[in-house]
Amino acid sequence: MIKITNLEKFYRTEEVETIALNKLSMHVDTGEFVAIMGPSGCGKSTLLNILGMLDDPDEGSYVFNDIEVAHFTERKRADLRKHNIGFVFQSFNLIDELTVFENVELPLIYTGVPSAERVKRVEEVLDKMQIMHRRNHYPQQLSGGQQQRVAIARAVVNKPKLILADEPTGNLDSSNGNDVMELLTDLNEQGTTIIMVTHSEHDARYSHRIIRLLDGQTVMENIMI
Amino acid sequence: MSPSPLCKRRGMVEKINENKKSLMIKNYFKIALRNMWKHKTFTFINITGMAVAFGAALLLTLTAFFELSFDTFHQNKNDVYQLYIEQHHANSVDEGSTMPIPMTPALKAEFPDVVHITRYGDFGGSALRYGDKIFNDDVRCVDADFFKMFTFPIVNGSTINPLADKNDIVLSATVAKNIFGNQNPIGKLIELKVDNGWKSMNVTAVAADAPKNSSFDFGLLCRFEQFPGYDQNINEWNSQSHNVFLQLPTGEKQAVFEQKLKTFVQKHYDASIKQLIHDGAKPDNNGQVLSLHLIPLTDIHFSAISSQSRAISKFYPYLVLLISLFIMFIACTNFINLSLGRAFTRAKEIGVRKVIGATKTQLIVQFCSESFVICGISLILGVIAACIFLPQYKLAFNQQVSLNILASPAIISYILGGFVLISLLAGGYPAWLMSVGKTAQTVKGKVGAGQSSSLRNSLMVVQFALSSLLIICTAITWQQLNYMRTKPLGYNKSEVVSIPIGSNIDPEKALTQMRSKLSSYPQVVSVTGTDMNLGKGLDNSSSTSIMSFNYKGRTVSTNWLRVDYDYVKTLGLQVVNGRDLSRSFGADSTMVLINQKMAEELGEKNPIGDLLPTDGAKLQVAGIVKDFNFKSLHHEIAPLTMVIRTGWPINYILVRVKSGNLASSMALINKVWKDTNPHTEVGASFLDENTERQYNKETDLSKIFVTGAIISIVISCMGLFAIVILIITQRTKEIGIRKVLGASVNNILFLISKDFLKLVLISICIASPIAWYAMDKWLQGFEYRIQIQWWVFVITGTIALIIAFVTISFQSIKAAVLNPVKSLRSE
Ligand SMILES: Nc1ncnc2c1ncn2[C@@H]1O[C@H](COP(=O)(O)OP(=O)(O)OP(=O)(O)O)[C@@H](O)[C@H]1O
Ligand SMILES: [Mg+2]
Repeated sequence: MIKITNLEKFYRTEEVETIALNKLSMHVDTGEFVAIMGPSGCGKSTLLNILGMLDDPDEGSYVFNDIEVAHFTERKRADLRKHNIGFVFQSFNLIDELTVFENVELPLIYTGVPSAERVKRVEEVLDKMQIMHRRNHYPQQLSGGQQQRVAIARAVVNKPKLILADEPTGNLDSSNGNDVMELLTDLNEQGTTIIMVTHSEHDARYSHRIIRLLDGQTVMENIMI
Repeated sequence: MSPSPLCKRRGMVEKINENKKSLMIKNYFKIALRNMWKHKTFTFINITGMAVAFGAALLLTLTAFFELSFDTFHQNKNDVYQLYIEQHHANSVDEGSTMPIPMTPALKAEFPDVVHITRYGDFGGSALRYGDKIFNDDVRCVDADFFKMFTFPIVNGSTINPLADKNDIVLSATVAKNIFGNQNPIGKLIELKVDNGWKSMNVTAVAADAPKNSSFDFGLLCRFEQFPGYDQNINEWNSQSHNVFLQLPTGEKQAVFEQKLKTFVQKHYDASIKQLIHDGAKPDNNGQVLSLHLIPLTDIHFSAISSQSRAISKFYPYLVLLISLFIMFIACTNFINLSLGRAFTRAKEIGVRKVIGATKTQLIVQFCSESFVICGISLILGVIAACIFLPQYKLAFNQQVSLNILASPAIISYILGGFVLISLLAGGYPAWLMSVGKTAQTVKGKVGAGQSSSLRNSLMVVQFALSSLLIICTAITWQQLNYMRTKPLGYNKSEVVSIPIGSNIDPEKALTQMRSKLSSYPQVVSVTGTDMNLGKGLDNSSSTSIMSFNYKGRTVSTNWLRVDYDYVKTLGLQVVNGRDLSRSFGADSTMVLINQKMAEELGEKNPIGDLLPTDGAKLQVAGIVKDFNFKSLHHEIAPLTMVIRTGWPINYILVRVKSGNLASSMALINKVWKDTNPHTEVGASFLDENTERQYNKETDLSKIFVTGAIISIVISCMGLFAIVILIITQRTKEIGIRKVLGASVNNILFLISKDFLKLVLISICIASPIAWYAMDKWLQGFEYRIQIQWWVFVITGTIALIIAFVTISFQSIKAAVLNPVKSLRSE
């Protein structure tokens, strides 16, 4: 599903040039659950952003579903993204002014799903995440675990082929964190490819494979059985 | 700072407090300046907006005050009135301020308690001779009381009674300087051109020039006995020729005196009253068909009745003031909205200050000092801008404003009052709102966001409603002006040149000479003369003669127009019945042309050949011409009778030229005219320029609307721009999330702009009916007018929406294309 080769990404500020990714190559197959680990600042989020087509690489190739997307225009990337990829963030990133229902509905609006269909699908996924009873609450009225479940609901409502999760349990206690991991595992078992950045070895164990980064380069891959 | 009750202690304490206070104030201003520097964009927008508003409002205020100050410099302004007469007909009411000559002596005799009374007659622009030099100046004829009633100070010569003798004359300072240079004019003799030769006049005094805000303007003042036709009409109650002013005893009410005039009218207008009643006049509320009334001196400038005024409606200066207030309001709205918006982004800072121990007062003072600094800078910049643009403004708007008015205490207190009020409101309100918030909430940065945004929204609605109102008014005045400019008037206005003859040549001779001289040029079609210009020529004068006569037992009134041969041909009029006046019929001085309206008025099936007993003769109708707009489009076409009778001197020569190369024809005519009358002072002009000039007032109004509209739109948009920046800053994270979820640039643009566009839409809905109502009222003043079209509102609305949308887009697109990774990182 994903194949990157010699990917490079630099950040230039006025004085320093940071190499966030340094000739990185890797691949992820459809249906895999991959965890990315590494010390802070090693380029995990940068990689995830590029994989999620939020950002483009400076050098190298990125083939997504047999399409070379490294030099896609912003518009084409956005199009590909909204139909194929869901995001889960450490800090949930829910919109405070919208209710749980409206937050989850948002991706469907942007992909142009008709209203009746939207209601059906949002209700379905809220049910699955067991937060149906909170549908009219605002994010601030929910616990962290509940918020992350809403965020996951929002990420999957569009039935994406790939879910990218950046430290999804980072702001949660261990019990809530485990719940989230169970959810992700379920999703993966139903066929969704998942790439997750994490600092927790415990969480990483839910995955099939761990990619370890150091200074923007792969240093090791562990395959779990 | 005013001493607060806190520091009403004694001795040292007070001293220390004083020191502390001045330190604190310094501190406040230091922080204020720093804050302004830190938020340069907002400071820039605030200061520019306020400065533009202050500058524009200042100029407009000066204009309004200038108009409102007319004739207020007279010491007796509260007791002096102008007389006018009101006549009720069956279907109409005539009001006029011109009076018959015997009126004044009769009033004097019958009302001994009237303090002063004077006639004021226009001698006309007249030639003067001193030695062998000839001058041309405006001469007015007045009675000796003139200088006692009006405050035109004598600067040289007899101050007691400058017009004691019949042959005395008073010069204005400018005229005195012109004629006599540095010589002392007192006691000198100058000669005044009268009907048949020159008359010696004795200069007794020099009066200061009439100020610009005076309804009276004069170059020379002579006794009323010199008024043309004085001797013939000394007992003639039916010939009206001049204005009459009187001064009532202090404290006497206008209404009381008008009541007293009732018996006076009955005594002197007995015959007219009977005739009016006979013709079916409808009496007024007091049961009178003919009555005398007074206009207070300070209202004359605004009176449509007084022939002394330019008849500017009083509504006009107030409208100008209103627009200046609109502009100020819009700028202040920006200020308040930005302060509010920023106050909430500064909520944390304020909360922290409160936790440390700042009092509510201190916080309010902190905010107010910021707004005082900003308003102060803006005011200074605004005044400077107003001074710089004053000459252009005067030119563009035909205004006579001067900065001298600025020195008047009323204006200064108006401006300073406005300044303090604005600073307090703009700075104080957000400050108060912030400081009453609970400390804990403020620290979280979550104070009354809903409250402030509904206030912000209402202010913005009003702001855009005002702008839309001005745009709609602009559009409608423009349409009406355009309509008046392009409406066919029934005569050729583009190829006819009108020459004001002036007073230093015999008019009939001038016409004859011009006819023969111009006949040799192929581009000249025909030449004629008339006593009434069409439109307003470069001599700026306009007149109407109305003749009433008894026709088969009824009174018929008609506009009276002296013409000459070829009038019909020159103007391209159409004779629909009968024949034109022509030299080939010999005795055409007893023949008249009438227009269709007049034919209707006469009520005859075929009025050709009818005899009209008027002007001391029996005049026969020779032909009927198709109606044409011989007056401005404010007025309906009225009955008109055209005569070629030398008893009515011509004042204008009209020349019809061939189409094509009009400029060279004009040059030719000017040259030939200069040859004929070397002393000429006013130039010729095409009739279309003249008709255009009739609508100067409307053109000025539309210019003021346009400027007001542009300024308010620009300032409103600056505010909108800044608020969008604030909103976007507040919503950066949300925008990022939406983008990650697949929102396109358009989605984001729509997201941000829809709330504002909704506000603009509401404003248009509010502004439209108001504009419709006001402009409909305005249009009622025109007999010929456009219908207000619904699409004006639609187009205006669309324009307003587009302008707002473009303004919003600037920042929104920037925010929308921003990589969401960045906005989410900054969390
Ligand atoms: N917008 C940016 N501008 C400049 N440098 C950046 C930017 N984004 C990331 N970097 C730099 O790139 C490197 C990789 O950053 P990245 O956020 O990918 O790290 P990370 O592995 O996700 O770290 P963490 O575990 O702390 O989230 C870091 O050195 C960071 O400072
Ligand atoms: Mg990271």
